[in-house]
Amino acid sequence: MAPAQRCPLCRQTFFCGRGHVYSRKHQRQLKEALERLLPQVEAARKAIRAAQVERYVPEHERCCWCLCCGREVRKHLSHGNLTVLHGGLLEHLASPEHKKATNRFWWENKAEFQMKEKFLISSQDYARFKKSMVKGLDSYEEKEDEVVKEMAAQIREVEHSRRELVRSVLEPQAVPDPEEGSSALGSWKGTNSQVASASQQPSYLDLPPAPELDWMETGQPLTFIGHQDTPGIGNIHSGATPPWMVQDEEYSSGNQQIGPSYEEFLKEKEKQKLKKLPPDRVGANFDHNTSTSVGWLPSFGRVWNNGRRWQSRHQFKTEAAARSKQSHKEKKPNVS
Amino acid sequence: MSFLLPKLTSKKEVDQAIKSTAEKVLVLRFGRDEDPVCLQLDDILSKTSSDLSKMAAIYLVDVDQTPVYTHYFDISYIPSTVFFFNGQHMKVDYGSPDHTKFVGSFKTKQDFIDLVEVIYRGAMRGKLIVQSPIDPQNIPKYDLLYQDI
Repeated sequence: MAPAQRCPLCRQTFFCGRGHVYSRKHQRQLKEALERLLPQVEAARKAIRAAQVERYVPEHERCCWCLCCGREVRKHLSHGNLTVLHGGLLEHLASPEHKKATNRFWWENKAEFQMKEKFLISSQDYARFKKSMVKGLDSYEEKEDEVVKEMAAQIREVEHSRRELVRSVLEPQAVPDPEEGSSALGSWKGTNSQVASASQQPSYLDLPPAPELDWMETGQPLTFIGHQDTPGIGNIHSGATPPWMVQDEEYSSGNQQIGPSYEEFLKEKEKQKLKKLPPDRVGANFDHNTSTSVGWLPSFGRVWNNGRRWQSRHQFKTEAAARSKQSHKEKKPNVS
Repeated sequence: MSFLLPKLTSKKEVDQAIKSTAEKVLVLRFGRDEDPVCLQLDDILSKTSSDLSKMAAIYLVDVDQTPVYTHYFDISYIPSTVFFFNGQHMKVDYGSPDHTKFVGSFKTKQDFIDLVEVIYRGAMRGKLIVQSPIDPQNIPKYDLLYQDI
């Protein structure tokens, strides 16, 4: 039994000694790991020919895990405002310590020999990359300049069009308002034409008062309902009593209390108390206030009853009828 | 002592008493004022009436003046006490043959007070029949005769 060893690729402890590396599981893990790393390296290789320079974005801080060295490596090279894509990875791949680590990795894990070349970048490749990087930087600068120029042109155009619009609006407005201090307007216009480019504010101030007057005059006329001054009754201005304070004839007699009377209040109190009683008490729905007939009998389950409680009344009535018949029969022979 | 308690002398008055007592136990004593046992019972009733005023209303009824109720309630022994709550008759199991009324007098005031309280609680819970709290030894014994015998 070999001593316990840990394989970082499989992330497992094994006791087989040297045999573990040749096992199926380990080889499978190895293949998967290399497959994961390969696309990154390929992307970096492409960048050797055509280095791309871009504006810095926080995403360019991403790191890539180098399997052979066992550490994280910056993917993109960034300096100030600009980034060179895949620059960091390329640098790392070209470095000598990475080469050493890759060799060691291949020997220990018994990976395929041909694959090793793919994960390495020679120093010539790296020099080529540097050249293309310089080129890329120059072209980037040119592009930036162009963009700036374009933006400036756009802004100028927008301003020009705005000025034109303002002038065209101002001219027709000056004509239909001769009463509105035409002299003032004229003087404004004069100053405006002199100070055309610098001050745009006076022209803006002129616009609001002119349209307002227009609207007030051309609206619908209001309906006239007559003069409201009868000589007898005063109104609010003369200080007469308001209509709601005038006493009505109905209220002149009797007390004029608003709200419930004292008895009603007591009744309300009783009702509140009733609400607090349990709802399923005996006779909760017993109507106390309706008048009863002469022959009313309460609900009484009698002693010698032959049915349910509510039938006891009926039974009593029939028995009472029978008894009265009997007493009649008995009385008759006495009388006669 | 019986002059302290209100008396009912006609069916109409009894009807009115039954209908008008709201949310309180109605105690109707059926008997004659001169009868000795009735006098005992009336004494207990009057002495406890003020203590029970919030729970119960007590009335005395003369059996000779209300024959309808004497027949309806099957009163054959006096005094008989019948209990009502909100117009509904309350039955109590005293351990005696007749549950519809209490026949005879109570031994102590406390017995009567306990009984009224039990009836009141039972009525609040919706029970039409309750168990009497009185010791069976203190309940007067009588034979229940069937009326036609």
